[in-house]
Amino acid sequence: MTAKKIITLRYRKIIGINNNNAWDKLVFTDSYKEFKMQSQLYNQEKKYHTFGELIHFSPGAEKLHFLVGGAITNYLKQLGEVIPDITNNLGLHFLKFKHFRFELINSDLQDIEKHLVALNFYSEDLYFLEQIGPYLLTSKVDAAPLKEGEEEFTDLFIIPPYLTIHSIK
Amino acid sequence: MELNRYLPNHIFPLTNPHCKNLSIQHYHLPTQQPQFTAIQTSLTQNLANLLSTKIMERKNFLRSLLIGAASTPAILNACKKSSVIDDSVGVTTTPTGGSSTSSCVVAPTETEGPFPTKSPASYVRSDITDGRSGYKLTAKIVIGNSNNGCAALAGAIVDIWHCDAEGNYSEYGNTSMQSTNYQSVHFLRGRQTTDSNGLVTFTSIFPGWYSGRATHIHVHVYNAAGTSLKVTQIAFPEGSGSAVALVNGYSKGMSGYTYNKNDNVFSDDTTGIQIATVSGSTSAGFVLNIQLSVPA
Repeated sequence: MTAKKIITLRYRKIIGINNNNAWDKLVFTDSYKEFKMQSQLYNQEKKYHTFGELIHFSPGAEKLHFLVGGAITNYLKQLGEVIPDITNNLGLHFLKFKHFRFELINSDLQDIEKHLVALNFYSEDLYFLEQIGPYLLTSKVDAAPLKEGEEEFTDLFIIPPYLTIHSIK
Repeated sequence: MELNRYLPNHIFPLTNPHCKNLSIQHYHLPTQQPQFTAIQTSLTQNLANLLSTKIMERKNFLRSLLIGAASTPAILNACKKSSVIDDSVGVTTTPTGGSSTSSCVVAPTETEGPFPTKSPASYVRSDITDGRSGYKLTAKIVIGNSNNGCAALAGAIVDIWHCDAEGNYSEYGNTSMQSTNYQSVHFLRGRQTTDSNGLVTFTSIFPGWYSGRATHIHVHVYNAAGTSLKVTQIAFPEGSGSAVALVNGYSKGMSGYTYNKNDNVFSDDTTGIQIATVSGSTSAGFVLNIQLSVPA
């Protein structure tokens, strides 16, 4: 059997004022509250009100991605390591994650509607088996190697917008 | 070339959401080692197959438009319909719940759950060690109100953060494109609210040091509404028998250490109001006490 390629997927989940589900709303409101608190460190003269201005004019403000992210990691724990939204062709969530990166896209101390964040979920390793039309066929990378004649369980799915193949080896 | 290394990739749709003209101008295969080339070849080949199909579809579509003498606005409208991006905010505008994607994929079809519950920021905890090794440090910080005779300030939010035994902060390596395990990413950072005595207590490790700075702990004090009252730093006493001397810079030693009098933050603190009282030993752990007064 030839060596299978191992890939990881990255889902960049965008959360803004119009996201309706309960989890997204909690991430939205708590990250905005944290942005208002932590941005004061980089805005001691209160000269700026947008994240864009802080990044551009205030040295060190890029740390706000990391600092504001601390407000929402407890919500990540509530996901039970399952990447949200992304489903296989059976309509089941099938991607697991341990790694993430929080991103502030935009925000404004004076207008919560401008607050827009992204949660980047990086999947655990998957074997890339085949591309069938628009679908990818993958299987989970398990610790125990398959024995001769044993079945390998697979997932079939389409890559929607905001999901990408992040890495390959 | 290390073959086990992850190689970053990009995947993208052929129909640009903004309907700008997108074409393949040229592509070439990189000349690397055979195994690596094989990976790239098969991926590129898949992409090339897909592209050629799509390009033919698009050509036929354009030809049919020309034959049918379709007007330019018709094409522009078709573009608008296929767009998934709302330019004003950059989020998808598909009116479906659950998924923020708009391509033709099966919607989640599962038993409802998990049920999200309101949770505090991960900073809110008394023990901020997160598995970092070092000598135990209990930090007791009392916040007073400098606008009220330094009386204890209850209900103030106190953030602290400091470096680990090697002199590294948790944010190092997190400002770029790197991903991190969310379980322990914000180590040695904490948030507590002062009690009726103005006191907050943190359990941590004695900080290490890094070039150019004396040992210190950062503090940011907010009022209960989250408005910043003070950004400051706590300094440590020095000299024979002090905690700084006992810890002795962990594995680094003290060669090249910056003492308070040469520290660019603490050197102007001639009365020592930023210097905490620190007692204890490496075996029993250290206890730090300080009162900080802020205008509330």
